[in-house]
Amino acid sequence: MPELVVGDHKATETPALRSAGRAERRRYRAPPFVPLWALIGIAAAVALIGTYPYYGSNAYVLSLLGKFLCFAIFALSIDLIWGFAGILSLGQAVYFGIGAYFVALSLKINYALTHPTRYGGKFPDFMEWNGLTELPHFMTPLISTPFAVFCALSVPTLLGLLFGVITFKRHIYGVYCAVITLAESLILQEIIIEYQAYTGGFNGITDYSNFAGPGFLWFILAVVVVFLLIARALTHSRVGTVLKSIRDNDVRAEFMGYNVANYRIFVFCVSAFMAAAAGALYAAWVGIVSFLDAGPVFSIEGVIWTAVGGRGTLIGPFIGTFLVKGAEFFLSGALASWWQIIVGGLFIFVVLVLRDGIVGSIGNWIRKRKRGTTLHQLIEESDQKAHDRQLEWRPGGPPPTDEPVR
Amino acid sequence: MANLLEVKGLTTRVSGFTILNNLDFSIEENELRVLLGPNGAGKTTLICMITGQFKPVSGSIHFAGRDITGWAPDDIFQAGISRKFQVPNLYETLSVFDNVMVSLKGRRRVFSTLFQRLGAAERDRIWDILEFVELAEKASEPADTLSHGERQWLELGMLIASSPKLLLLDEPTTGMTEDGKRKTAELIRRIAKTHTVLLVEHDMHIVRQIGQRITVLHQGQTLVDGPMNEVMNNETVRRVYLGKGKF
Repeated sequence: MPELVVGDHKATETPALRSAGRAERRRYRAPPFVPLWALIGIAAAVALIGTYPYYGSNAYVLSLLGKFLCFAIFALSIDLIWGFAGILSLGQAVYFGIGAYFVALSLKINYALTHPTRYGGKFPDFMEWNGLTELPHFMTPLISTPFAVFCALSVPTLLGLLFGVITFKRHIYGVYCAVITLAESLILQEIIIEYQAYTGGFNGITDYSNFAGPGFLWFILAVVVVFLLIARALTHSRVGTVLKSIRDNDVRAEFMGYNVANYRIFVFCVSAFMAAAAGALYAAWVGIVSFLDAGPVFSIEGVIWTAVGGRGTLIGPFIGTFLVKGAEFFLSGALASWWQIIVGGLFIFVVLVLRDGIVGSIGNWIRKRKRGTTLHQLIEESDQKAHDRQLEWRPGGPPPTDEPVR
Repeated sequence: MANLLEVKGLTTRVSGFTILNNLDFSIEENELRVLLGPNGAGKTTLICMITGQFKPVSGSIHFAGRDITGWAPDDIFQAGISRKFQVPNLYETLSVFDNVMVSLKGRRRVFSTLFQRLGAAERDRIWDILEFVELAEKASEPADTLSHGERQWLELGMLIASSPKLLLLDEPTTGMTEDGKRKTAELIRRIAKTHTVLLVEHDMHIVRQIGQRITVLHQGQTLVDGPMNEVMNNETVRRVYLGKGKF
């Protein structure tokens, strides 16, 4: 095949050769929707976790698995906004917490109907301790669990929408946005502690029938897979490309006609929805919800899991959550008082050394192996090629337009 | 012919300094206009005003028969003005192909991009543009691996992709080699065959290569406006550029 010069076509080329060459040149290697390794990895992980109740006998490990999966969905929701839209939220637990409290309240109210308190009240015991004599009227709709689940998912999403409108529309993002989200989760934590007659206060909501069984574990796994697919579809589509372009260069995107605020609000709502779903599943699985699940510490933990696994990778948050929480399970017994310090140190290490997290770093390594060059060499090579091309460059025709040439 | 862009009595101040002072300026359709001027003359500020980055103190900007004074940048883009920044402004981690794709003219709303698929016509157009700026063989590479010149050309390609009625190019040859500058000038000359272009440029060689009509700004006002030869031989322009004049 003759050598093809990009841009100008050599006069000696036949039209057939030229079109063959053109097709050859016009080959864009788009990444697949689900890479094979991810498909195999996810299937293996689902099988391994889902069948645990049949080969493992440790009930504590089983409860941990469900818990970690909920945490991992929570981390996925952080990855969606932080990794793909560049929004760092230090208050993502707000949406997790609200989702969890709606479900926990509903389950608790239903539990109290069949299990009267010591004084015979058919409403949650913590309300009785705080001087209420009956279930508050505004809480009666929560007796219906489907309605509670609907609230658990929709209220945080709408709150995310409200938050997005008041911050992103005013061009607040970056550090200021992170600080506002942090404040948001502090406020929610205070509200939960303050209104303990309705929320259980410091003690949280506990003693209700939860769904910690193999069936519900499979349900959580199904949600995980569906959310992963949704997140992948979102970030792999046109809207995902726009989000990434806004993350890379919001000024350019704005001058390319994109309403940057609307895109940020959209992805923030999707993320809030996923965090809320994670919270709802969590409350149903573990059977205890406390103010800590809506607080800033939990929010920041989610950010750490995402960073360790690799942000902007979707699969990274799962790996990060299981590694960090798993290590906590094995090590915190021996190193109880040191554990928080270790997690903090891990975060500093990841930020300083492993900026792209575990998954991202492996990806970088594979890319480097494939090309056989580092980024730096690639740029130098590119400079040289550009220089060579300039020497042989000849003027051609006008640019392609989508309107008829005048 | 009707003016595509009409700037009337534009005044702007930044922290007390008057950058543009009652400036009148207009561009006709299909024109290639070069904007010259010493540092601080207000060239970049004028572009920022037209694209909605800054709001004027007084005056008006009309584009294609519409008053766009005070519009938001994304609305002004929708009206048909695309802008190239002085420093190449790309989406660094996206591939070269995707950089052009997100710049394509089309719907920009969240829910219309949510389910939008890349059609064959759009795909062909992206390749046409990549071949025009000679980056087709790098389509799959992330933009941050390009050389400086290639980055400038990619941004030019992105601007063409957005099918603007008016292209604002702010010093597109900054930091290039002589070869690169020549090629950029040639690209701009070819772009100007089918587009209306306003070019801000310092390099007189480039201006000679592509210039037709030139406007010289000085201290926020139009100093001279006319064809290239006339402006090049103008005494006042020479004095301003050589720094001898007191105005």
